[in-house]
Amino acid sequence: MTSIASGPTSTGDARYPSRFRESGVKARHLRAHVLVVAWLGLALLAVAAQDSLSVSRWLAVHMFLLGAVTTAILIWSEHFAVALLHARVPDERWGTARLATANIAVAGLLIGVWSATPVLTAVFAVLLVAAATAHLVMLVRLGRGALGGRLKPIVSYYRAATAALIAGTLLGWLLSNGGAGPDRYAGLRLAHLHVTLLGWIGLPVLGTLFMLWPTVLGVRMKERTTKVSRWVLALTGSGLLVAVTALALGWRWPAVAGLALYAEGVALAVNLFVRTVRGHRPVSAAAVWMLAAATCWLLVAVAADLALLASRSLTDAQSGIDTLMPVLLIGFVAQILIGALTYLLPVVLAGGPQDREAVRAVLERGWLPRLVVLNTGILLAALPLPGPATTTGVLLAALAGAAFLGLALAVLARSGRSPEKGTSHNPALWGTTAGVALTVLAVLVANSGGDPGTGTSASGTSHAATGDVRTVAVTLAHMRISPARVEVAPGTALRLKVTNDDAQRHDLKVENGPATPMLGKGDTRVLDLGTVTDDREAWCTLPGHRAAGMSMDIVVKDGSTDSPDGHSGHTTTATDGALDLGADFSPGWQARDAELAPAPGGRLHKLDLHAGHTTVEVAPGVRQQMWTFGGTAPGPTLRGRVGDVFEITLVNDGKEMGHGIDFHAGSLAPDRPMRTLQPGERLVYRFRAERAGAWLYHCSTAPMLQHMGNGMYGAVVIDPPGLPKVDREYLLVSSELYLGTPGSTAQVTKMRQGDPDAWTFNGVANQYAKQPLKAKTGERARFWVVAAGPTDGIAFHIVGTVFDTVYKEGTHLLKPGDAGGAQVLDLAPAQGGFVETTFPEAGHYAFVDHDMRHAEAGAHGMVEVTD
Amino acid sequence: MDTVGWWSLIRFAHVAGAALWVGGQLALSLVILPLARHLLAPEAKDTFTAAAGRRFGMLTGAVFLPVQLATGLAMAWHKGITWGSLAEPGYGRTFATKLALFVVVMLAAAGHGIAHSKGRTDLARSLAVVSLVGSLGVVLLATALPAT
Repeated sequence: MTSIASGPTSTGDARYPSRFRESGVKARHLRAHVLVVAWLGLALLAVAAQDSLSVSRWLAVHMFLLGAVTTAILIWSEHFAVALLHARVPDERWGTARLATANIAVAGLLIGVWSATPVLTAVFAVLLVAAATAHLVMLVRLGRGALGGRLKPIVSYYRAATAALIAGTLLGWLLSNGGAGPDRYAGLRLAHLHVTLLGWIGLPVLGTLFMLWPTVLGVRMKERTTKVSRWVLALTGSGLLVAVTALALGWRWPAVAGLALYAEGVALAVNLFVRTVRGHRPVSAAAVWMLAAATCWLLVAVAADLALLASRSLTDAQSGIDTLMPVLLIGFVAQILIGALTYLLPVVLAGGPQDREAVRAVLERGWLPRLVVLNTGILLAALPLPGPATTTGVLLAALAGAAFLGLALAVLARSGRSPEKGTSHNPALWGTTAGVALTVLAVLVANSGGDPGTGTSASGTSHAATGDVRTVAVTLAHMRISPARVEVAPGTALRLKVTNDDAQRHDLKVENGPATPMLGKGDTRVLDLGTVTDDREAWCTLPGHRAAGMSMDIVVKDGSTDSPDGHSGHTTTATDGALDLGADFSPGWQARDAELAPAPGGRLHKLDLHAGHTTVEVAPGVRQQMWTFGGTAPGPTLRGRVGDVFEITLVNDGKEMGHGIDFHAGSLAPDRPMRTLQPGERLVYRFRAERAGAWLYHCSTAPMLQHMGNGMYGAVVIDPPGLPKVDREYLLVSSELYLGTPGSTAQVTKMRQGDPDAWTFNGVANQYAKQPLKAKTGERARFWVVAAGPTDGIAFHIVGTVFDTVYKEGTHLLKPGDAGGAQVLDLAPAQGGFVETTFPEAGHYAFVDHDMRHAEAGAHGMVEVTD
Repeated sequence: MDTVGWWSLIRFAHVAGAALWVGGQLALSLVILPLARHLLAPEAKDTFTAAAGRRFGMLTGAVFLPVQLATGLAMAWHKGITWGSLAEPGYGRTFATKLALFVVVMLAAAGHGIAHSKGRTDLARSLAVVSLVGSLGVVLLATALPAT
């Protein structure tokens, strides 16, 4: 038997503690545990600050896990690895350096995330990975050439765990900088939670229990322990690898399978532990009960986690798994830490057997009430009880934790005092630290909630000056803020009515302005921004959420006369819930280029045109299957001069539907060229453009209402002879947008009734409002417009300009030399033309369909004119 | 009277009082007391530090504290600060925190005097430094308040 298993029972003076009893090692342990206790204290402070600081929940969790627990695991895994492998104690200076690096990295990470400084976070994430890698290297090198005891396999738990820490750090860093994006956030977050809690913390705890459990019980280790420990590592390690990889990739079922393996491993270990228990009086009853309770909570949490993942999608499982956090954090991690330290601190800190008993007596003071209070607290926090019960639970657990903290502090202070007296006292240092801590705390309190000057109290009375108070409903859901953009006239007093519709908690902080507290699901708060004079940003302050896309812009716009969204007193959002045109397009979305290239050289224009079905983003965040020519709706634009020949090869790429084509620009007998092509067929459509104009082409297959209403249209531009060159030329095809399954009764009904979901320029609602067209002051711009319908025409108008040229259906209605001007280019369905204007000065010129029902539902865009 | 009015005189008294008080603490703990420790005989040193501390304490209680309180109250009244507004984020909360930190600093300073008279030198020195650093914190919070 190794000395570890039999040690404390017989003489009370086992071999392995003596290996560490040299004062150097003891002093190091002392210092390191001061760190652990300091992190724990900070975590409790952060819990206390939960209402005033939005990141404090995150901070509390990470101060506890990444600060206290990580430091403890680093110290003890090295300590036990040396003991188990019978290896020589590695160079102390390197050990101290690793520990210091890890702690500095953790502090840097916390500050980086708290202050939302991505550079800081990245640098310290790399530093933490470096410290973890050094730890891993140390553990691997310890194994080389060491004699190795019976429990050698346990060191592999520590190695696997350190690899998990590296993975967890990288995943956490990815989450904090938004590399995940809103779609993969849930999966990556779950992967991060699992790899850190079940890997970095779970694995070493399980491994150590194989040795610690019999020791604390004071019984001999079972013969099977070595074999079982190998099995358990194989199951938990491989299970976790599968689960975490699958979660990161967003695959649910492989993750469930991996987690099931992990659960089986834990169950196997627990089975062995149960069989180890005998009627003996244990060495430390307190430690035994706490370790046992903690292991039970681990089993419960893993089982519940498994059930949640198996029964819900990753996004929905998130909120359930979040409620498991108190169980894992307090029930498992904190309790195992308290239990283990209750047994281990006396072993490492005490000078002799008597001293050890004295230290243990202090640490075990009132252990039974503490145990009961702690576990009752966890039970209350974990069960789906009303709010006050949960709060009481957390408070009870925190109380029990703080009680242990006090005892541990007393023990540490006692050991720190005993060797030499008085030298460590440095009043100036203590005073400075306390003063700085006070000041930092004061600044944190002062900064919570909002910034001076723009806060509600400072500007509370200034609303009256403008009189305009505008309230905008803002929804937080699915890692998005909706609307993502609010436009207000300068001088408007803006109020945001913020509602969290997400299962997870969010808040909203306005740049240089007020912030909401953390909002649970369904919570609503009104933020009073006062009079808005500058553009501002607002975002969710939870770590990683802003980077993942939870931000909104508040833009101050001169209230142009008929800009559809410039009016105060109204929101830009669709309030009927159908389409949220104020929302964000998906990341990476690009507006269709509206610039019209000059006609290519040559008189013959050849084009292969494929008819088929494509799914595209047709409105912010809305994807819709469209029927398309050339993969886009509208299809590709053709341009030439009078007399040019166009030779179009039309191929029907579809699988079940016939399509055809009809070019208005050429005259010919429709019979053959406009016939319907069955899937796989092709035809060559050849026409000569005899006359100038802006022409429509569209699908010629009945029912054309559906074929055109689902996107099968495009433009042919034939330049009038002598068309002057201009600085900018744009082409806008106007059309209606009908959402829903193409051809479904619901969609066709909307088409028949002329009740589209939106109106668009170039196929996508609001696209040039999100990505404005650019021009320079004084430039002459020509806007070609073709009305594709299928039902509605257009009254094309550019706010703030007067047209000096209007060309409609083959003729100039107005030329630059004329005395008159024009305000609208009116086109019936299938008509086309162009207008020309110059932009007099820098500014934002909205272009709209002046039928305001259309403009406010997607048919508007923006020309951004700069000097 | 437009630029330098009565209110700027009151603000001047407030700012100057703070500067003198913080500066006095700094001068005492960074210049005078270390020099006294080096240059004076142990007995003379004890008498000197005790006397210096007592005099500074008296100045604080008799001049600085009343001036700060009176001018501070006057400015708060002038700005129209109410009890309710102290809890609101922004100006109110910063101001309330500044007041709280000021109270803590004054308690530390008082504690320093008591600890010193009871012969607990280390505690007294710690509290003196807490008071000094804390009063810098008060100044920091004061500069974070927008001009009144």
